[in-house]
Amino acid sequence: MSEGALQMSRPMPVNPAYRPLPDTYDETFEADLTPRAACEPIAADLLSASPERINELRARADRMFLRMGVTFNVYGDDAGTERIFPFDVVPRVIDALTWRNLEAGLAQRVRALNAFVGDIYGEGKILKDEVVPRDLICGSPQYRRAAIGIKPPGGVFITVAGIDLVRDREGQFKVLEDNARTPSGVSYVLENRLVMTRLMPDLVRKCGVRSVETYPSDLLASLMEIAPEGVTRPTAALLTPGPYNSAFFEHVFLSEQMGIELVEGHDLVCVDHKLFMKTVSGLEQVHVLYRRIDDDFLDPLVFRSDSLLGVAGITDAMRAGTVTVANGIGTGVADDKAVFAYTPDMIRYYLGEEPLLPIVETHLLRDPDVRKRVIRDLDQFVVKPTGASGGYGVLIGPKATYRELAQMRDAIEKDPASFIAQPMVQLSAHPTYVGQGSNISLVPRHVDLRPFVLLGSKARVLPGGLTRVALREGSMIVNSSQGGGSKDTWVVDD
Amino acid sequence: MLRRIANHLFWAARNLERAEWRARLVNVNYHLLVESPPQNPEPWAPLLAITGEREIFAERYTGADETSVLTFYTFDDENPSSIRSCIHAARENARALRHRISSELWLELNTLYLDSLGWSMATLQSSGMYSFFADLGGRFYRIAGITSDTLTRDPGYDFFMIGKMLERTESVARLLDVKYHFLLPRVEDIGTSVDVLQWAALLRSASALEAYRRSHGNAIEVERVVEMLLIDESFPRSARFSMNRLETSLQRIARSTAANHANAEPRPLASTKLSNMLVSNHAKEVIGSGLHEYLLQIQDECAAIGDALFAEYLRFE
Repeated sequence: MSEGALQMSRPMPVNPAYRPLPDTYDETFEADLTPRAACEPIAADLLSASPERINELRARADRMFLRMGVTFNVYGDDAGTERIFPFDVVPRVIDALTWRNLEAGLAQRVRALNAFVGDIYGEGKILKDEVVPRDLICGSPQYRRAAIGIKPPGGVFITVAGIDLVRDREGQFKVLEDNARTPSGVSYVLENRLVMTRLMPDLVRKCGVRSVETYPSDLLASLMEIAPEGVTRPTAALLTPGPYNSAFFEHVFLSEQMGIELVEGHDLVCVDHKLFMKTVSGLEQVHVLYRRIDDDFLDPLVFRSDSLLGVAGITDAMRAGTVTVANGIGTGVADDKAVFAYTPDMIRYYLGEEPLLPIVETHLLRDPDVRKRVIRDLDQFVVKPTGASGGYGVLIGPKATYRELAQMRDAIEKDPASFIAQPMVQLSAHPTYVGQGSNISLVPRHVDLRPFVLLGSKARVLPGGLTRVALREGSMIVNSSQGGGSKDTWVVDD
Repeated sequence: MLRRIANHLFWAARNLERAEWRARLVNVNYHLLVESPPQNPEPWAPLLAITGEREIFAERYTGADETSVLTFYTFDDENPSSIRSCIHAARENARALRHRISSELWLELNTLYLDSLGWSMATLQSSGMYSFFADLGGRFYRIAGITSDTLTRDPGYDFFMIGKMLERTESVARLLDVKYHFLLPRVEDIGTSVDVLQWAALLRSASALEAYRRSHGNAIEVERVVEMLLIDESFPRSARFSMNRLETSLQRIARSTAANHANAEPRPLASTKLSNMLVSNHAKEVIGSGLHEYLLQIQDECAAIGDALFAEYLRFE
């Protein structure tokens, strides 16, 4: 293509009112406001569309989500209320080359995290070699003594991982945190795509978007690959806490797509170190359990004795090797926010490779010198409690009030090991439609990315992942519980 | 098939069937009152008796006037058997069944539920009573059609059908019982046009009027009405028809679960007694020896079938 033709094919830059954020990587536009190559079809279409068309697309999308029952439950106020996850019709595009690099980095990362979990509950080599401090592990709220000695087939502890990525000012993807317990959100990826292909089939086709449709069958394949040895036709089931869990829709969706039973704790019983489900024709053995409840609720004999969500004796059955539970018990040590600081070392230690994906620099506050420095400049850091997830308890230094900073200083001094600090990453931004009706406007909003990685006899990475967008102006908190929405993520062909 | 899932299927069907009966009863009664202005100061009281809800109605409403009764039956959330409550309950059952029912069925039911959230006296009045209930009835038929065309014929379907047929049998028995009770004692009305209207309304409540006229002509006779609603083998809302359908499902479940217990003795079906009752009686005898007792017995047997089903297949705690 000649230079001139290239110029011709470049569409007019969009909605003329769009202003990228200063000092921020814009996912769609170069500094001179021309669209990035992979984003041209979007710029020519969605980003230059009339408010009427966007309103119509949004209304149709909302209707589809509501009718499909793609809702999440909000805890706290008015518990049990269903809401649709706010959805922006402008997709986030990732070009093929960027994705190839990410994919390799993600697979590498999850293989190392998995090896780490196996080592921690096995020989503990990494601790003996003092690559990771022993007391950090034993003191981790996610460490589970009960996991010692459980050896799942293929050594797979982390079957499903969700890795949260952010993109810094230069556009470099970095790992913000790992989710190695029961990461959720994948159903939104699949449903978002379903809605987008119905809303704008031509655009999806034109961009050459990579399909996400195989996720359920890839998950099922991964689960079957880790079934106890010698079982010719393993039975798998998905364990949910029930309809009032915030991710229930996803549990339903995945079990539906995989064609396996969706079970609750009281559907299950352990007899003779084996796991069974109660069917109308009696007990039927379960060989692989994809559980979507936390360790603490899994087995009242081992963890919280007041839990009605799990099944008594399952830990024993795991140890006897009659059932594989995915993810395994205690995988949370691998996504502990303090352990996070050591993840690059883990990759080098277990795989003998250099990490392909950098992480966001992470400071452990138990080190007195580090603590002193962080406390002094607290308004420049993001501080996270090591034991929480979902964005709860996070202090964003640059946006915190004087009072919040003072409270955090006290909390850190009182219990330094429970916090980590990271520099404030200026998250990348993406053109997003906000406002309603005639007040609709296209504005930059911060986004992150949660890709999903499956581990069975090999690693499988879902193309793209869940793009979460902070809908409030200036906000960098993308969690759905805190006013975040989502976008479809398009990995496009070259 | 999980016991919990079987429970949800059974109850989803019962709740839907109940909602449908309610809608039909309310609609027919409403139009009956329009056509024959009542002398009775509380013209809606008989309906409350049919559905067995006089007491819970009286707890929260002062009189059985039209607005109160329509509210109570259609969208009173504190009445567990209001049409909206039943739809809501069926939708909650279906929510737990999302992975085994068709997305079409879920969509239809969920849309009905979402629409029902907006119901009020104002919506009833603005759409007009006739269109409101005609539309609602159509939606129940659509759900029945989707169910029939998309549910896999596995034991789950059978549990669904059992729930539906059990509710239907009970409903028809109750309908007949109360109408009979209320209609017959008024000696002065027998054979008058009001009487014919009332019986025609009863038949219409069971969607049976047209079928009745095709089989028996214009004259509405008590004996034939009883025959049609209880004993007729070909009419899809009769007690006998419903029991036959229920029995087919019960047998299939017994067979499929027996396959897992090679040594188990075949047990008599829980429905045998009621089936025999319906087969071996003629309407004339039934009326002669006390229709009320007979109908009560049907209701008791329905409860017994539910209990047996629960003990055998559905209890899971």
